[in-house]
Amino acid sequence: MNKEVKLSVNNLRISFRTDAGKVQAVRDISFDLYKGETLAIVGESGSGKSVTSKAIMGISAVNSIHEGGEILYDGQDLVRIPEEEMHKLRGDKIAMIFQDPLSSLNPIMRIGKQITEAMLLKNKANRKEGRETFNKMLETLSVMMKQALAANPGAKVSIAEVDQYIKTFDNFNIQATKLENSYNDARTAAEEMIAAIEDLLFMTEKNQKVDVVATLKLISRRLGEINDKYFVAGNAEVLKAHAVALAAALRAEKKKVKLSDSVKKIAGGSASKKQASPETVATLEALKETAQTMLDQPRYNFFRIGYYVYKHPETDLSRMSADEANEMAIQFLEQDFLHSFMELEKIAVQYSFAKTLENKKHAIKELRKAIAYFKAGGFNEQSAESLCKILNKNVLAAIDPLAVVKDNVAYTFGGALEREVDKYFFYIKNNPKEEERFARQTAKREALLAKGKKVDWKIIPKSVIEPEVQIESIVSVLNRVLTRFEADVAAADSFDADKRCVEIIDYLKEKASQVVYTLTPRIAKEKAIKLMEEVGIPEARMRYRQYPFEFSGGMRQRIVIAIALSANPDILICDEPTTALDVTIQAQILELINKLKREHNLSIIFITHDLGVVANMADRIAVMYAGKIVEYGTAEEVFYDPRHPYTWALLSSMPDLDTNEKLDAIPGTPPNMIYPPVGDAFAERNKYAMEIDFEMQPPMYEVSPTHYAATWLLHPNAPKVEIPKIITERIKRMKERGGNHGE
Amino acid sequence: MENNREVLLKVEHLCQYFRLGRKDLKAVDDVSFEIHKGETFGLVGESGCGKTTTGRSIIKLYNITSGNVYFKGQRIGAGTRSYKDAIKQAKKDLEEKKITKEEYDRIVAENKALIRGAKLDSKAVDKQYAESLVKSLVAEYNEKFAAAQGDEEQTKALKREFKNRVRVAKKSKLITQIQMIFQDPIASLDPRMTVRDIIAEGLVINGITDKDYINEKVYEILETVGLVREHADRYPHEFSGGQRQRIGIARAVVMQPEMIIADEPISALDVSIQAQVINLLNDLRERLGLTILFIAHDLSVVKYFSDRIGVMYFGKMVELADSDELFKNPLHPYTRSLLSAIPLPDPVYEKQRVRIVYNPIAEHDYSVDAPSFREITPGHFVRCNDAEEAKYREMIQ
Repeated sequence: MNKEVKLSVNNLRISFRTDAGKVQAVRDISFDLYKGETLAIVGESGSGKSVTSKAIMGISAVNSIHEGGEILYDGQDLVRIPEEEMHKLRGDKIAMIFQDPLSSLNPIMRIGKQITEAMLLKNKANRKEGRETFNKMLETLSVMMKQALAANPGAKVSIAEVDQYIKTFDNFNIQATKLENSYNDARTAAEEMIAAIEDLLFMTEKNQKVDVVATLKLISRRLGEINDKYFVAGNAEVLKAHAVALAAALRAEKKKVKLSDSVKKIAGGSASKKQASPETVATLEALKETAQTMLDQPRYNFFRIGYYVYKHPETDLSRMSADEANEMAIQFLEQDFLHSFMELEKIAVQYSFAKTLENKKHAIKELRKAIAYFKAGGFNEQSAESLCKILNKNVLAAIDPLAVVKDNVAYTFGGALEREVDKYFFYIKNNPKEEERFARQTAKREALLAKGKKVDWKIIPKSVIEPEVQIESIVSVLNRVLTRFEADVAAADSFDADKRCVEIIDYLKEKASQVVYTLTPRIAKEKAIKLMEEVGIPEARMRYRQYPFEFSGGMRQRIVIAIALSANPDILICDEPTTALDVTIQAQILELINKLKREHNLSIIFITHDLGVVANMADRIAVMYAGKIVEYGTAEEVFYDPRHPYTWALLSSMPDLDTNEKLDAIPGTPPNMIYPPVGDAFAERNKYAMEIDFEMQPPMYEVSPTHYAATWLLHPNAPKVEIPKIITERIKRMKERGGNHGE
Repeated sequence: MENNREVLLKVEHLCQYFRLGRKDLKAVDDVSFEIHKGETFGLVGESGCGKTTTGRSIIKLYNITSGNVYFKGQRIGAGTRSYKDAIKQAKKDLEEKKITKEEYDRIVAENKALIRGAKLDSKAVDKQYAESLVKSLVAEYNEKFAAAQGDEEQTKALKREFKNRVRVAKKSKLITQIQMIFQDPIASLDPRMTVRDIIAEGLVINGITDKDYINEKVYEILETVGLVREHADRYPHEFSGGQRQRIGIARAVVMQPEMIIADEPISALDVSIQAQVINLLNDLRERLGLTILFIAHDLSVVKYFSDRIGVMYFGKMVELADSDELFKNPLHPYTRSLLSAIPLPDPVYEKQRVRIVYNPIAEHDYSVDAPSFREITPGHFVRCNDAEEAKYREMIQ
């Protein structure tokens, strides 16, 4: 697999306790979410889409019961970590856009505050967390270096020097990030200024009313923010001149407005249109040109310059051009520091890798032994538990501490194994009780029926799992780690130590930028307003101070999206974000989400029932019905080659622009999940249902390596059925259109 | 295209302003269209463009600011703002000596008469309708009485019947022939009334007291919309979303309306249920010969469902055409942008789709020549000015 798995859900089962009985909302679903992709979950309401997403966010309802399975993210099992840990992830790493905007906004807080609140809090937390992880990684690195040197006495560097190296790296890295941040701020200010100028010029050209004074004020404020010496470089004098000209223009415009106001008062006529005077336009155009040239200049490499400045704090590199400075700094950096540091790092990485590889081989042996032990059965509780502990220790020792990407399977191994073993002993105790209850209820029901009474309750199905079955799930947990380790050992020869070194430095750089980046309320406000404009709220500056009730439904949804995006999450869960919006806005929001996905390499779980939207957004699609995934594949496969009758039904129940025939509505309603059907849950509404559909649940059949569907129709013995005409014709049309597009 | 079909509803220069502090919010501004008998007229536009307000103004949930609404040839709604503005303008002109005193007096008198007429019409239309109904009843029963002369029993029965029907007729309103289906089936049904009460409410208000008749009617209508008799005694919360919307439809249809205003009836529903409700509405339209004003923002559904489509943008109608024509030859830039935003269930096409952005300031230059609503080809109207009209004509050829 070449893609990095960001989040994986395995065999998740969730139920709800209600007065009427236990509702099985999610029944054994599994999927992986890769980095930078969009996974769409499609299904009608009550199919368990939202329940799944809420479980990932750790905000399941109070009456929910987590019956099994796991959600793995970043080496943690999200369904089992404590609330404090979840709190750190929620919003920051995993954010959610809810279906109903009104219920996710605070009615008595101004919009602006709600958007900036998360930003400010998360920034504070991020700085702290960034520092911690940064230190921890450096610490591990230094320990590994020391150990490697101790084991390898021929190296050039002595152990005592390691600390010095680490300290230097720490300090200059932070320095470099500070410089870069300040440069970036100035750059953003320049970009915003240019945007504002362009707006004003455009409106003036089109003879439209604008608030010239306010815009000029904004522009001069932005101009004042362009004060980073690396960004301004040689243009400081020019900028000063521009600032003076701008101030003069502002004064002139103010005077004009005052005059026109007084004229209006005296004459009682209509106000003159507010437009920038030709002088102002000229000033602005000149300013725009200067800013543009500054933006077009090549960038400084602050990682290099940071070291130079750290060593020689009194020198000013901004006098040099970017290329010169970069060239000079890299030579200095490499000779003075980086060369030997990288060498040292490489030794550490190789040492750590070799050590853990040995541990892995050992762990593989232990795991094989354990599998044999569990498969034999008849183990007792105490010895099994102590074996679990030893295994966990072995597996944890086999994890490379210098690996930047955490291995979900190995990190969560201990907990998962312990749980499965616990369950084994629980079922041994509980199974007879459950059997007894089931027998009692059946007897009671039959007795009542025999008396001819009306019985309006059903027997609660028994939840019995045979110990042998449970042993299999224990073994599967062991096997999962085993196969992973075996693959790692097999791939050990192709390990690239240099690549790993660069990864570590990149990781440290990223964390350093987190530490340095401070967000003041003022910047947060500007960012929030920019974000509001980005999600398409007009007059964002004015609306920043309004309350949620002053917005229309579509606008509210945009604000919710702005809040979700404000913390730059890793994974974004969108729970029907555009269902309440109209097409144009929907298209805008989807474009926005797609843009952010590209920019931040976001992973998105997109929940919706609108198949048009899915086609636009999704890389892969999971179709859910009654708590199960019934079809799973890439977007092209699901749309052009659907296999499950439910997918057919969904596709044929929505009209597209060329549809004229009567729609195939899905008859009836989804089943009551207190008493889930024995067979295929969709059987009752399915016109292609066969007898076996009512008796047995279909397994997942593989259509292609990426495409699976759970329907008996894919069984080799099943009769051939025709896909509804409405779909085949649409696919034909789509293929024709697709061909035209390709030319 | 049949131009000679009977016009059921005619909206003329409809304006609906809301007071917003000192300024007016022009929710609907000078919208005109006609709906023919038996057709489905789709109204699309983004949220906040005044689609719903138009629907509500037609059914007189708001007092319209200016313009006229004709239903079956009768003026059912009329606003007075335009006449008042004319008087104001005349007064100003008089002060500036642009017109003479005589002219001013004439204008004021004319407009005052118009105002009076509009007020009378929008108030008295129901009264007139009831009176005409009573008149026809009287005529009908006079004949019956004459036929039954001498037969004491029959005369008595006829008298009772006549009395009842006159009572109902006196209460009936023209406006009940237009019914509305609301967007949110949860919010629009009273949670403390049974389905029977909800459906029968309109009948009861109209003065029908016969319990058996009402029950019969309720059962009949429940079956029409695909529910069963047993549902009559349940409460709305016991139903699923699609069933609730069916109840909403039943409530509208039970009044035997000629026209239904469906205000986003499927937006709040699940995808599998949407098809059920669309099929039901289509069915009812054919069976009962309904005329439907279909307000929605889902263009694929509107295209599927409507004969003609009007596109609204910020309170103004910008384009109106046959639905096929509109999708084939969209003229107004806003319509084009709207059509380019429709998502289709086709991943390859979707990933290449380019959305056209509509920016009214960049698209139009109305500083010299103000736009109006003009017919480019028969039945295809666009809001444009002279220059744009020429451009559109070229485009369509």
